[in-house]
Amino acid sequence: MQMERLILAAMWLFGFAGFLLFIPRKDWRKGILAFMMFQAIIWLCDMPSFQLGLLSAPVREFPKASHLPITIDYWFYPILFSLYYVHKKVKGSRWPRFTYFLVWVSAITLSDITLERFTDLLEYKWLTWWGMWIYIWFLFYVSQVLCNWFFKDKAVFQTERRGI
Amino acid sequence: MRMEWWILISVYAVSTGILFFIPKNKFRLAVVAILFKQVITFLIGLVVVELGLLEYPVRLFPSVNRTSFTYEYFAFPVICAAFNVWYPNNRSTIFQLAYYVGFTSVLTIGEIIIEKYTDLITYIHWAWYISWISICLAFYISRLFCNWFFAK
Repeated sequence: MQMERLILAAMWLFGFAGFLLFIPRKDWRKGILAFMMFQAIIWLCDMPSFQLGLLSAPVREFPKASHLPITIDYWFYPILFSLYYVHKKVKGSRWPRFTYFLVWVSAITLSDITLERFTDLLEYKWLTWWGMWIYIWFLFYVSQVLCNWFFKDKAVFQTERRGI
Repeated sequence: MRMEWWILISVYAVSTGILFFIPKNKFRLAVVAILFKQVITFLIGLVVVELGLLEYPVRLFPSVNRTSFTYEYFAFPVICAAFNVWYPNNRSTIFQLAYYVGFTSVLTIGEIIIEKYTDLITYIHWAWYISWISICLAFYISRLFCNWFFAK
């Protein structure tokens, strides 16, 4: 229990620090939009996954109100996605970009598996490690497509700025 | 089927309907308003349920989530999008205030009626004016955020 609490506190702390340190001021809009987009997607996907019993979170922040791991869903993974998205290369050939995506997705899966194995923060029921890998892959991909749509057309974005 | 489920279905239908009325050139504003509102409602919704101030006896994903997914994920954010998209920027201050009061009151009255006659929401240590104040404040914060996000 003690260790789980420490890990959750560290996630909040590193999330804050990561956002402030690694996202330059001029990219804040991009970063925050990516953060919010990923949050909406993971929330939507985790609800049915937890309801169906794919995985569970024995130690959690709001034990009565929600069975979801709030720190991870609400804060930590959205921040990680935001870091990924802001530092993603838009130009360049396909393979380096794909490797970048793959490294992020795999690293997050690896940390997720570690949390599952050594703490009570997560517990996979009939989800496997490769299932989690595909799941995170899916979450990243969908969020990325939606963010790309949002920022697709700079000109459109500018007119909408004036329109508010 | 129970009346509660019909209400939930119609809430989804009406909210989706509202999305179709949003002009195309303001769609990104609507998206930002929706996403930002979710950031607020997720957390506040969890806190009030955890503290036992409110209860949602009939809800989606009942075994994993005691907050109202429908209201917090979809209905309120969509209404917030509408609020921001049609915000009367060029009108007088009085008119803008009335706009706030109008949106907030309609939502609060709806909530009071639903609380009274259905099992969708039950006030425990709660009162209608807390709803009113928090909804109004949430609109205001979303407005501040959207203004910042789309500032020149």
